[in-house]
Amino acid sequence: MKRDVLVVELDRFQGPLDLLLHLIRQQDIDIFDIPIATITDQFLGAIRGIAAEDLDWAGEFLEMAATLIRIKAQMLLPRSSEEEDEDPRAELVRRLLEYEQIREIAARLSSAEAERGRRFSKGYLEPRPKGLLLDTPLETNWEEVMEAAMRVELPHPLARAHRVTTGLVALEEKIQLILDTLRMVTRVEFRELLAPWKDRMHGVMTLLAGLELTRQRVVTLQQSRLFSELWILRKDLEAWRGEIEGEGRGSGEEEGVGGRRPEREDWV
Amino acid sequence: MKASQIVEGVLFSSDAPLKAEEIARADESLDEDKVEQAIQELRTLYDESERAFQIMELGEGYQILTRPEFASYLERFDTVPRPSRLSGPALETLAIIAYRQPIGRVEMEYIRGVGSAGVIRTLQDRDLIDVVGRSEGLGRPLLYGTTQRFLEHFGFSSLDDLPRPEELPVILRDRSPLEELLEREEGGPGAPGREPVEGEALDGGGEEEDRHG
Repeated sequence: MKRDVLVVELDRFQGPLDLLLHLIRQQDIDIFDIPIATITDQFLGAIRGIAAEDLDWAGEFLEMAATLIRIKAQMLLPRSSEEEDEDPRAELVRRLLEYEQIREIAARLSSAEAERGRRFSKGYLEPRPKGLLLDTPLETNWEEVMEAAMRVELPHPLARAHRVTTGLVALEEKIQLILDTLRMVTRVEFRELLAPWKDRMHGVMTLLAGLELTRQRVVTLQQSRLFSELWILRKDLEAWRGEIEGEGRGSGEEEGVGGRRPEREDWV
Repeated sequence: MKASQIVEGVLFSSDAPLKAEEIARADESLDEDKVEQAIQELRTLYDESERAFQIMELGEGYQILTRPEFASYLERFDTVPRPSRLSGPALETLAIIAYRQPIGRVEMEYIRGVGSAGVIRTLQDRDLIDVVGRSEGLGRPLLYGTTQRFLEHFGFSSLDDLPRPEELPVILRDRSPLEELLEREEGGPGAPGREPVEGEALDGGGEEEDRHG
């Protein structure tokens, strides 16, 4: 290898140790006697063009650059003989050799993996990684959404009566709003349904309307990931029974919030 | 019904490795020893009759897998998806964890020289590593180790199937942390002094012990 040929593509390297090892091995340098000044210059030269856009990645190379410069400085200082005079390069050499070893093991693992990949089991199917949660549609239901909504909207004791009246009207209204919308389009963003109003109560009531319609299997709810936009999807508009089913199932909370029955009013 | 037939039936019907004790549940007449004995019988039988498959030991379990020489035929079928390969950083990180477990993230990052949080998460998601404890150190950081799935993925029956450090072409004799692992077994290959061995495979030099420790 010629000394002056040191065109290095940083992307090829896993990190600073990889690059350093490459510089050393490529030039047949004795790893136990690294010419630290030369290597430092070469290393700095190689990372000169490093992109600032990936700071984490750049940082790792810069950290190594700092280490090299420190070692270079230590080599220049006269060392007092009383102190444990370990070669300033020793730790770096250990790291490099250990890293080289790891790289070798990784290569062996890779061939083991390839070899294993040549054997098949009956009906072999690679298990799906469970970590793709963020990419897959999040199954949720109106109960959970409502629960979250209710945590935000803690009813103020003094505002109770007022809200019940609002709710009483709003719930029917919102159901109608969802039904009307879904007659025109197959799906609608939850946010759009709220657009005309600023009051949070409208949001809660729209949620409740959605809950009711989901329960009656008129609509379904989709959310691609946590905190992303909610979509209300048309399922079967014919399934709408024309009335809110408060009784028979569900918790008192749902009925209470819906405010259908006067005797429940004071609860909300 | 012969024990080997029952065991064969159970293995045939499974698409994941089964432990001997699990197979033994098939019948009251079976126990772990009998299952293992039956597996030996089946292996001989398969070899003699030149079956396209073998009983492999993966992790603690047994599974019927095709012989590697049939791969080129099977890969033509969509029903046999290619298993996904791990990336370079993932393999490096796994190598470190496999040899140094239990090990924390900071230590891994020092060895690799790069941040590894993302890789660790990926490996964890793929069930190749798992948290095995917490260090006593500051902040009690999580410690990671390899899983059964790791062994299955690489076709190992145990961690002993990993390449031993002294087989590797490059090794730092006196300070390699990897070697400390070995020293737990037979006295270790501790050639004293700082004897750099470089570039070439090391042979001889007081290494009487061989692979099957």
